[in-house]
Amino acid sequence: MATLIRRRLLCTSAKAGKKWAVKEVTKANFSEAVEEFKDDLARSDFVAVSLQKTGSFSAGWHRALPFDTNDTAYLKAKYAAERFQVLQFAACPFSLRATKLTAHPYNFILFPRDELKVGMPSYSFSVQTSHLTYMAQEGFDFNACIYDGISYLSKAQESAAKVRIGNPTPGNYVVDSSLTHTVADTIFIERIKSRVKHWKNACKKSGSRTDDALLSSLRKLVMGTEIYGSRPCMNIDVCSERQVQLALEMLKEFSDELVPLIIPANGGGTQSVRVVLTSSKEDKDLFERELQNVVEEQNKRVRGFREVIDLISASQKPVVSHNSLNDFTFIHSKFLSPLPANVDEFTGSLSLVFPHILDINHLMKNIGPLRKVTNIPAAISYLNNHYFAPIDLETLPQENEGKIHRHNVVKMCYLFAKLCTILKIPENAKLSNNHLLAPALDEYTNISNPFSDIPQESINEDIRIWRNNMRKISCDNLVFLWGFRSGLTAGMLKSMLHKSHDVFSEDFDVRFVDKSCAIAVFWQPGLSGTFLDVVSNEAIIGGSLREMVSEGLRATSYRTYKRVCKLGLWEADLAESLDKALEDPDYSMDADSTTNGREILWSTDSMINFDDL
Amino acid sequence: MNTHRPVRALSRALSRALSQSTSSSSFPLKNVTKSNFEPVLAELRRHVAAADFVAVDLEMSGVTSAPWRDSLEFDRSDVSYLKVKDSAEKFAVLQFGVCPFRWDSSKKSFIAHPHNFYVFPRQELPVESPTYEFLCQTTSIDFLAKYQFDFNMGIHEGISYLSRGQENEALRCFHLAYEDGSKLKEVRDAPLVKMADTLFTERMKNTFTEWRDGLLRNKNGGFQFQGISNDRQQHLETIFFKMRPALSLNGFTSHQLKLIQLVIRRHFQDLSYVQVNGENSCQQRLVVHTDSKDDRESLMKDVKDEHLRQAETKVQAAVGFRHVIDLLSSEKKLIVGHNCFLDIAHIYSKFVGPLPSTAEEFVSSVNKCFPHILDTKVLLNANIGLQQRMKKSQTSLSSAFASLCPQISLGAKSTDLAFQLCVKVEVQVDDLRSSNWNSGAKHEAGYDAFMTGCVFAQACSHLGIDFEACLPSEKLAHNEKLQKHINLLFLSWSKGDVIDLTTGNKNVMSVGSKNNKKRYLQISYEKIALIWGFSTKLKAREIRECISKVFGLTSVVSIYHLDETAVFVQFNKEKLVSEFLSLKDTLERKDGPVSVLHPLAGLLEGGNTRAADYETYKEICSSPNAKVLFADQAEAFGIQWKTKLVEAKALCLECESSGEKKALNPASKSNEKSERKNMENVQSDSSTACVSNYKIIDSLIASRGDKVRTNL
Repeated sequence: MATLIRRRLLCTSAKAGKKWAVKEVTKANFSEAVEEFKDDLARSDFVAVSLQKTGSFSAGWHRALPFDTNDTAYLKAKYAAERFQVLQFAACPFSLRATKLTAHPYNFILFPRDELKVGMPSYSFSVQTSHLTYMAQEGFDFNACIYDGISYLSKAQESAAKVRIGNPTPGNYVVDSSLTHTVADTIFIERIKSRVKHWKNACKKSGSRTDDALLSSLRKLVMGTEIYGSRPCMNIDVCSERQVQLALEMLKEFSDELVPLIIPANGGGTQSVRVVLTSSKEDKDLFERELQNVVEEQNKRVRGFREVIDLISASQKPVVSHNSLNDFTFIHSKFLSPLPANVDEFTGSLSLVFPHILDINHLMKNIGPLRKVTNIPAAISYLNNHYFAPIDLETLPQENEGKIHRHNVVKMCYLFAKLCTILKIPENAKLSNNHLLAPALDEYTNISNPFSDIPQESINEDIRIWRNNMRKISCDNLVFLWGFRSGLTAGMLKSMLHKSHDVFSEDFDVRFVDKSCAIAVFWQPGLSGTFLDVVSNEAIIGGSLREMVSEGLRATSYRTYKRVCKLGLWEADLAESLDKALEDPDYSMDADSTTNGREILWSTDSMINFDDL
Repeated sequence: MNTHRPVRALSRALSRALSQSTSSSSFPLKNVTKSNFEPVLAELRRHVAAADFVAVDLEMSGVTSAPWRDSLEFDRSDVSYLKVKDSAEKFAVLQFGVCPFRWDSSKKSFIAHPHNFYVFPRQELPVESPTYEFLCQTTSIDFLAKYQFDFNMGIHEGISYLSRGQENEALRCFHLAYEDGSKLKEVRDAPLVKMADTLFTERMKNTFTEWRDGLLRNKNGGFQFQGISNDRQQHLETIFFKMRPALSLNGFTSHQLKLIQLVIRRHFQDLSYVQVNGENSCQQRLVVHTDSKDDRESLMKDVKDEHLRQAETKVQAAVGFRHVIDLLSSEKKLIVGHNCFLDIAHIYSKFVGPLPSTAEEFVSSVNKCFPHILDTKVLLNANIGLQQRMKKSQTSLSSAFASLCPQISLGAKSTDLAFQLCVKVEVQVDDLRSSNWNSGAKHEAGYDAFMTGCVFAQACSHLGIDFEACLPSEKLAHNEKLQKHINLLFLSWSKGDVIDLTTGNKNVMSVGSKNNKKRYLQISYEKIALIWGFSTKLKAREIRECISKVFGLTSVVSIYHLDETAVFVQFNKEKLVSEFLSLKDTLERKDGPVSVLHPLAGLLEGGNTRAADYETYKEICSSPNAKVLFADQAEAFGIQWKTKLVEAKALCLECESSGEKKALNPASKSNEKSERKNMENVQSDSSTACVSNYKIIDSLIASRGDKVRTNL
């Protein structure tokens, strides 16, 4: 009773004040916001991230399902991340001291505009109308997003873009002892050396007296002198990277006055070396600083929003996420580099950039009844009703505020704080001032958690209670079935199978994956193999099973399913995809040894029931 | 949108003042969203029925799903169609401009009604279908943003639609649902387990018995039935349903309703449980009394029919924007568009059905829906007189509009003689009228449709068509001066490929003045090899060098980059394609110093270089994947072989000795199936095949060495 009263008190006090609001960031206020974000991040212990995307999956079976292994779940997330687009990136640096939660939420509005006219960051992207409609209902402003959204380039794209933009870069001569001069080299050096000398002297001479316009333009024509900013310069044409090095080497002789710049050619390589003449040592330093600034400005423009990602990564703060597999496949593909082919490479590559990722769903697994709760408000209300864990947060945004999506990230922080308190994750674990994550939290650091990976559509799903009857089974015991007549329920199919063959006299289960395809689990090892043998062997097949097969029933092992994901055969119906995978001529050659023994968890109520769809 | 009403009232008042003095004005055109769709559609029906022609224009979410899908010089006409098909299938229509034009002989002017429909493919019916998903091309979306396209309006308020196929499917599903009776879900007989259920059932049984007995006792009297009084939330009310006494059930949970159904079925022959949709779409559950079995059956049939009718109304509403397309199709009016092949493909794929796999099938189906289509771009390019009038300006819509209809595009009223020759167009939006209207909103579908119509009207006048003489009975579409231009569309504008919608014949039309030289250069697609996956550092010049070192300086006619990962190599002889492919295959099967030093080594560097003939290009174009780079697309398409060998029509030079023939033939004869196998794994005895190459290679290495030295 006392706790109840205290909770009431806390709630009212929480609602009273509204000290901060979510900061909406577009192109216009991006640079200021980044500075603020940098400071907030430096002062915080964690950073929560949450992405608003244009779509999640195109067909029911494309989402991560309970029978997915880490690898297949990753491939599904990869497929989505490569096609859809992030329109809003919410980042919220926060700290938790005792029960006090301090959060600084930012909503970065993104649009992959081709700012540099180089066909990047994204040529095109898919959208799902259901997602857009949902976002519209939540009050998302698409005009603001498309007109003023912040663009970005991934790390991989940045290096490609630098080549394509072709800005001059300061030429740094690398001493290469192996470089021995041939006769041609010496001739080349001598020729450009005399040209540079001649030009330099001419510039200095003309600097002392004032020319009339005609004369100076004539001189420009004759000597190839141009003006770079306010300083005279000349171009040395080069035919190879070797000549670039030779030119730079030669220019070292004049290093107190001349600054070499490398002008890149269209599509890589070097077009020429530009020599800029400075008037004094001070002027040279000034010019080099100017160059440095230009380069930095340029880099900022190219990176765009990715600066935020770079800041988060550089801070090494633990990143709290709710849908880590989905969100981080997006982050990796949009802001780092194209997604690797398998989950191990992915986690490897990701952990270099984000060493600590905390998945809220994974934390919730430790509270039994929350295992199946996928939506944040439901989880919060469950915890509020069942646990006493007051968290002091100035404002917990109310549901009726309309623009719920904006506050999602704050709710995540709040839920995380509650979970930390309830799970008694010790205080010192949270104060990660030394940039190290205390071991207490470490055990929850886990990205490869396909179970948590429930798509956004289910945000309004009710709490469903996990029945705690998960059983570990090997993928080998699963068989995919399709080609049966439509309109069957899982129960009907099961009883048909039960009568069809002896294999089914033992304990087995049947569930629908989508309307076209079902999955059968043999609880007794080895029976799945027997069944597949029977189905594929005309001589031994008999009875009603024979009839079912003649009517079109097909069956295959889990291996084919993995192959479907690996080859990216993302048809609308799983049956169609399985058929395609079996048609593939390489199928038989594909030795599949790596993941054979992998176990997955099977829970009787975690399957998608066709009747529920 | 509620704000519309006062605005409309105001505009009506304003228009009264304006209509008297038709001065220059720029009121907005008719924007149509789902909130005003119904009344606008009714009005549009009248305008279209009275129209002489209807101009249309579409704004899409994108045009090409990858750079290499852009219209290229090396597109054969079937490939051009595949590219248009891909575009229409992947992108969405965001705005649809419809502008009916009617000749008013009393005013000697056209009356135009520009409409701008916001369209958005929202899923309105709970019918199972693949997820609604479309592609956005970043540059196109950015382009629309530059012209202030209102995306919020489109997504919030856009009109959705069902294609004919989707409509039939939806109706079929509804019918199926009602045939099975699963809408009135039969509750399974289940033993009552819970104590509460038993008690509830018993109580309901008594209540219904009491009610029924009361009815029977007082057939004529005023029987007063007391609902369950102990609970204010649950109550029963006697009403009449289809001339029969009925009890309406309110405030019960779904579980309780299930139990009630069970009670009725088990214990009452003369009562039926029905579920109907009330007036404001709230569901009403009733227990209805019927006199006989026949009466009961007729009641159930009535209820079912009503459900079906309601479902059909729902489907009709979901058809949404397609009503406009059906209207255009059923009125058989002349449809006018500007470079509209892609537009027509979009209309077909969104509102009619899936696009056929060939251009010929497509145009014949289109011709059935829209018998008269005129493309102003074709018209402007076909007629020399018109081109002279346009003073050789571009035939893009806005420049054609500016040069042909200066009186409208400049928005100025002039007494200039040149302007006197211009066709007058009066714009009418609701009650607003203007004879020199200019909303100025370029790249808004409604305005673009208006411009297209004006260009067409002006072009007709220059062709000498007298609108006055065109009696309503004698349609514009049948005017003999237009006959040779009608139903011709550009399959590919850049190549000047024109397709005739009535016959499916394809022709090349010499268009423009700039590219005339190239027009006459016939491309022979058998002489083209496709190479992709090579090192991105390689440029066209280097590829040409590599190949001409082997096949001779004149062997390569041209190299054309599809994108940075793929090129077309046009050879001067057809057989060189197969020779090149088999040489590549041979080299890659044998690792060794020779293949490293071979002139082609540069091209094959990295080991991912693939090569095939032009047919493979077509196949890859027809695949639905949307990879940005061609090499990735080919991989996603499932190509695992490195070289597709084609049967050479002439014997290869290398195959002169019989021993070598044996070695080469199994490869070149390989059919589709075995090609797909990974060639690397097939280690056939190809070493002998290389022998003849040695001599050539040796001499080439020598000459290459010289070249390297001279390079310095």
